[in-house]
Amino acid sequence: MKPTHHLDITSLMSHSAGGMPSAFAIVAATHLSLCPHCRLELDHADRIGGVLLDKQEPAMLRAGAREMILDRIKSLSLEQPEIHAQDVCDLDALPLPLRPYFGETYSQLAWRFVAPGIHRATTHEAVAGGDLMLLRVAPGKSIPEHTHGGNEMTCILRGAYDDLLGHFGPGDLADLDGETFHQPVTSPGGPCICVAATDAPLRFKGWFARTLQPLFGL
Amino acid sequence: MIRKQVKSNVVDFSVKRRMPISPTTPVLDAEYWAAQIDEVARLRDPAGFMRIYDHFAPRLSRYLLGLTKSQEVTDELVQEAMLRVWTRAGSYDAARSNVVTWIFRIARNLYIDRVRNEPNWCAINEGIQYLDEMQTRFGMSTTESFNDELILQNAINALPALEARLVRMSYLEAKSHSELAKELGMPLGSVKTVLRRAFIKLQFAMRNR
Repeated sequence: MKPTHHLDITSLMSHSAGGMPSAFAIVAATHLSLCPHCRLELDHADRIGGVLLDKQEPAMLRAGAREMILDRIKSLSLEQPEIHAQDVCDLDALPLPLRPYFGETYSQLAWRFVAPGIHRATTHEAVAGGDLMLLRVAPGKSIPEHTHGGNEMTCILRGAYDDLLGHFGPGDLADLDGETFHQPVTSPGGPCICVAATDAPLRFKGWFARTLQPLFGL
Repeated sequence: MIRKQVKSNVVDFSVKRRMPISPTTPVLDAEYWAAQIDEVARLRDPAGFMRIYDHFAPRLSRYLLGLTKSQEVTDELVQEAMLRVWTRAGSYDAARSNVVTWIFRIARNLYIDRVRNEPNWCAINEGIQYLDEMQTRFGMSTTESFNDELILQNAINALPALEARLVRMSYLEAKSHSELAKELGMPLGSVKTVLRRAFIKLQFAMRNR
């Protein structure tokens, strides 16, 4: 199944340029690993980078740099990069870009209770540029309407949810800025598991949801 | 510098007619560099590699200095990126991307890996690249031809000043769009609108070659 919700063009450029904060870049990479459409777009963005690089004014190199590299290459032979291919048949395997941060498989994730029907798994080590987490939301569950006062990028891994932006299934990416209020409702069936990056705490609409905020701790 | 004759089965006649050929025509440059990398991969000839080094290392240096703002880190990353060109020459695929795109990716990934301290970044990106390679093999993806570089370069030159400036700042300083907005005193939404407009134009040029 091909994703239907994609990275915003500006996010793609930012990702290509190396300017996207790490937490977001990891979610973007997860989507890219699942989405041929965005891989093609990223390829275009990388070409822009290539042309800009080639048009750079040449700079002076450190004295002796040329001799040093000439010396170093003599001892180095061709190498084949070790490719960790994504095993699409293994349903328990996490998408490749998430493994360094969350582990290899879904079954070994350490889910922690957040609120009824909502669990969260955090990264092994802190990630720069925002909060990165996996969320597991029970089917048919509604998350109170919220905005982030910042950016939110979510990629669905399993299950699905609906909000005012449409239906989000596996591989789909929600690339939201601080202006968007949304209230995702997970689809019936299995739980919805997604990876999310945020760079500001969630802000819930309405006093009741606000009282829940400390519970979420997001 | 002696330019090696390379087969020009990619450049069609009409393009040649429109663009008078001089030794600096990017179409020929793109072909030339692809042939050089291919030779480095096959012959392991240091002299051939140094031709690539002499062209790209000073440009990489300027580019990486813009990202890192540190001469010391830049010198190290330039060396490392060029060593990667030497050791990875065998995995360069001229049908999939031009040399400038390939080297840009190497340098960008190294920057994220080392400077932004994401030690998994190169491996993650190689994994994604591999998926792309599979796609190409099954004919599902477009390829980059040598004259694409020229088309894109012309399209970048044709961008209005503000669009060109934001695209350059975004790539050459690797700033987040919020940082760009703050620096230019523009609302974030406007920065994104300008960048989006620029990308659509450049992509239109790439798609309608």
